Amino acid sequence: MNCQKFETVAGELARGRMMMAELREEALAHSNDCARCSSRLRDEEMLSRGLRSLGSQTSSLEAPPSIEADLLNAFRQAKVVVPIVPVRETRRYWVAAIAALLLVVFGLLAARTQFQGKPAPFEAVKNSAVPKNQTATVDNPQAIIADNSGSAPVAVKREVVHQPKVTPRRNRNISPDQLQARASSNRNKKDVESNHASNEVATEFMPLGYMNAAALQDGGQIVRVELPRTTLASFGLPVNMDRYNEKVKADVLLGLDGMAHAIRFVQEKRLQ
Amino acid sequence: MKLKTDPTDAELLRAMLSGDEGSFVELYRRRNGGVYRFALQMCGSPQLAEDVTQDVFLFLMKDGQVFDPARGSLSSFLLGVARNYVLRKFRGEHSTVPLGDDEDEQPFDQILDEPGPLDDLTRAETIENVRRAVLSLPERYREVVVLCELQELSYGETAEVLGCAIGTVRSRLHRARALLLTKLRPTEEAEVANAGSVESARCFA
Repeated sequence: MNCQKFETVAGELARGRMMMAELREEALAHSNDCARCSSRLRDEEMLSRGLRSLGSQTSSLEAPPSIEADLLNAFRQAKVVVPIVPVRETRRYWVAAIAALLLVVFGLLAARTQFQGKPAPFEAVKNSAVPKNQTATVDNPQAIIADNSGSAPVAVKREVVHQPKVTPRRNRNISPDQLQARASSNRNKKDVESNHASNEVATEFMPLGYMNAAALQDGGQIVRVELPRTTLASFGLPVNMDRYNEKVKADVLLGLDGMAHAIRFVQEKRLQ
Repeated sequence: MKLKTDPTDAELLRAMLSGDEGSFVELYRRRNGGVYRFALQMCGSPQLAEDVTQDVFLFLMKDGQVFDPARGSLSSFLLGVARNYVLRKFRGEHSTVPLGDDEDEQPFDQILDEPGPLDDLTRAETIENVRRAVLSLPERYREVVVLCELQELSYGETAEVLGCAIGTVRSRLHRARALLLTKLRPTEEAEVANAGSVESARCFA
């Protein structure tokens, strides 16, 4: 060990701090050989003793009792009960959830307004209860979202509003009796009928953010929209990258407050 | 048989913030000594140390919920708050104990030459010299001396209080000790150091 290295360990050595035994022996051996470093070590040891004495002299000092009395009075007067659970954490999650919900809602509304101007393709959906650009009201939208166990939603379309005044081509040659019979048959299927066409397959309704059940108590509307296919990925659904630039149909469940509450994606059945 | 253990500082703080007076008293009696001694050793004035102690515990009453046990002990937290109050008082009032003339101080060389150095070092006069030397250090060196040497905190605990790295604590303490030696042993180097240049201590170290 040289004098320069000794300088770096002299303080630790004098303070009696834990250090490697080998290093300690080397330092002590060097101080035995070097008069300057020996003197330095003595100074450091004296300084350590002086500081220790000063520390021990003040080790029993405490604030005077009057301070405790004053603080106790302040404590009694304040009696401020501070919430233990930090509110900031939960607030942060709520803000994030609301922001995500607003993002989805604005996206869907933008998509909706984009397609509202276009006329409904006449033959887009055959026998579809909620054809493209149509709006249907439902009695119990909560049930639609809540019941995710079945393969198809259980809510029944009661009334079609804003329905385009277009008679489906396939119905033109059907007699009124046949239509009435078909309508009667359809009514008998209420509460178990799916509200999407039999030639379509659909995912289950997926809630958009936190549900506000109060907004759905008085019913809601299902709106058929088209979205970029990449939207599927946002909901954890697989995306066929060969068709990524195509659009995908979806039914959006709106509450009476105009907020989107759930969405399902619809695809036409492939012909066997 | 269930053993009853003393509540931790964090438990006492939680109860105190819920309005439990007993917990406040227990916590205060447990921790006021460390805070008061730190403030006293930093500023040298009992009056200021009392003020700082009072401010620290008032802060704990009002904003105690900011304490995060994951970041360190309550003791370190309180010392950190005390440090902020001390530095604030320094900046506002420049209150430190005025140092006496060098003639009044006993040179460190004489202490070394006298028989029974340990006995001599524990003498009140010598301790007073050391105390003055500590108080004359720049704040950043003084606080590491107070925490590591006088309060006997580990490097890790000191780093928690100061909010810096352990390596910084080590290097500051090394330099602070070198400065103290120059102050207690009037030599040419000490004269340079007394002129107020911290860099001169680096030469010594």
